[in-house]
Amino acid sequence: MLEEYLKTNLAWWDEAVGVHQGTELYDVDGFRRGADSLTAIERDELSPLIREGTTLLHLQCHFGLDTLSWARRGATVTGVDFSGKAVEAARRLAGEIGLSRRATFIQSNLYDLPGVLDQQFDVVFSSWGVLIWLDDLERWADVVARFVRPGGIFYLAEFHPVVFLIDDAEHAGELRLTYPYFQGREPLRFDEPGTYADPQAHIDNTVTYEWQHGFAQILTPLLQRGLRLDYLHEFPFTGLEMPFLERCEDGWQRVKGGRDDIPLSFSLRMTKEAP
Amino acid sequence: MSDERPAPSRGTGEAPEAGGESPIPDEIRRANVAHWDEWTRIHETSAFYDVEGFKAGATSLWPLELEELGPHVGEGTTLLHLQCHFGLDTLSWARRGAVVTGVDLSDEATGLARRLADEVGLSGRATFIASDVYEVDAHLGDQRFDVVFVSWGAIEWIPDLDRWAAIIAMRLRPGGIFYMAEIHPIAYALDETEDHNVRLAYRYLPAPEAPERTDYDGSYADREAHVENRVCYGWAHGMGEILTALADAGLRLDYLHEFPFSVAPFFDWMEADEQRWHWLPDGRGGRRADLPFSYSVMARKPAARTSTVEPTPFDNDAGGG
Repeated sequence: MLEEYLKTNLAWWDEAVGVHQGTELYDVDGFRRGADSLTAIERDELSPLIREGTTLLHLQCHFGLDTLSWARRGATVTGVDFSGKAVEAARRLAGEIGLSRRATFIQSNLYDLPGVLDQQFDVVFSSWGVLIWLDDLERWADVVARFVRPGGIFYLAEFHPVVFLIDDAEHAGELRLTYPYFQGREPLRFDEPGTYADPQAHIDNTVTYEWQHGFAQILTPLLQRGLRLDYLHEFPFTGLEMPFLERCEDGWQRVKGGRDDIPLSFSLRMTKEAP
Repeated sequence: MSDERPAPSRGTGEAPEAGGESPIPDEIRRANVAHWDEWTRIHETSAFYDVEGFKAGATSLWPLELEELGPHVGEGTTLLHLQCHFGLDTLSWARRGAVVTGVDLSDEATGLARRLADEVGLSGRATFIASDVYEVDAHLGDQRFDVVFVSWGAIEWIPDLDRWAAIIAMRLRPGGIFYMAEIHPIAYALDETEDHNVRLAYRYLPAPEAPERTDYDGSYADREAHVENRVCYGWAHGMGEILTALADAGLRLDYLHEFPFSVAPFFDWMEADEQRWHWLPDGRGGRRADLPFSYSVMARKPAARTSTVEPTPFDNDAGGG
């Protein structure tokens, strides 16, 4: 079954690459002209640590906009995605903006990466909507820990687990919790037109399988693999569009009615202990 | 997206000093002391706390902390219990051989704890201190402990977790363990719907300057009890705030565990199991195990100040305290 889930998700992502390159959300033309694809959270928290020559591995990089945004800051970057189409698009973009020499893109399933990449990095980076595609965070933590050098860091900016609990249909307005925080191995199946970046887009592969993860599930496997928690930050805004959220002037989505007490995003940084 | 610098839900920052004046405003402290003094009298005879059972030898600890912290507590282990109420849990650790110190804001609570210690013959290994948790330094001299223990509905009564974590780190010996079993921040944010479901109604993210005032009769341990001192104040704490405070204080997190059951019924329609855990029913005769009501954290104070290999580009920023 797992193979079937991953195959279905891959078909969705392969198709999404084509759609997303033309979307306002990703704004590829703006990016080519020099615009940054990172959000204020990563810019504020991770940018100060990126220098000329910092080595950075970007897990689940989609078509590489964020990966290349780090390269523009001087990092030597490696982006990994399971979609061949995403990796092709990322390489093309790197060529177009003259960053091919400091940007490598690898097509690989996240779990299989140790078989195709043999290097450790100053920074392992991942962001926004990555965990939901992973069925097994123990194996994910194996991969993360494998690629952070001793003294290096893992940085993750993500949608808060709470966002994915809230009803997105009939009871969205009252913030009813409909989806599971503890899910187990069976994924949730969604069948929806469009993508998060363009809900109106026509796509053929409409089915996805997704796994919800709580903080214990995210953090504890990393802690057990020698990564020390530096911080876990929670934010009352996010980039995700949901029926219970509204877009604010600064571009972030917040809970309708002005509530600022519900967590919608988080970031975490961990440092790999010396052996 | 935004060009504005987002403010994290709380500052990342410098680990503060452990000592100093309490950040709990006097008026709030007075209300909370009166509230807990009265609750102590109610709780002493409640079925929830079952003091007679305790006197007869039953442990008041939940299966969770017995399983997770139990193996680390043996004959002679020194244990500091912050916000210990009237000491049942503190004394349950003492029964397992620990030399215990319990701290609570309420005089009535520590007074009752001392009487109980006496009755069960544990006075020799149990000390109780009536103190604001932030002012505990004034009572502890240079004592350091093998274990600092916190549990179930404690941190909602304190505003500043950075100072709390700094006190914990300072009171642990190098290599010592901090263990906490607590009510989940998501559970605190829940209210019930008419059709026995749950929704996010209350605050999750912290607001240190805006304590939440509650005014209700009864207690979690006895809903029918009549209470005179009904007004009390508490503070919301998010998971990020909690874990980051511990990290900033220099503690190394071993694990975070989360659980779909609760120590107390948040709603009348929650159902108790044979171990006293309360669950959301699924409406079909079973239990919902999909939402977090509890969590536990274990963290350690590093044995010695260890440097992280060679200098790194991150030395200026990483490390957090």
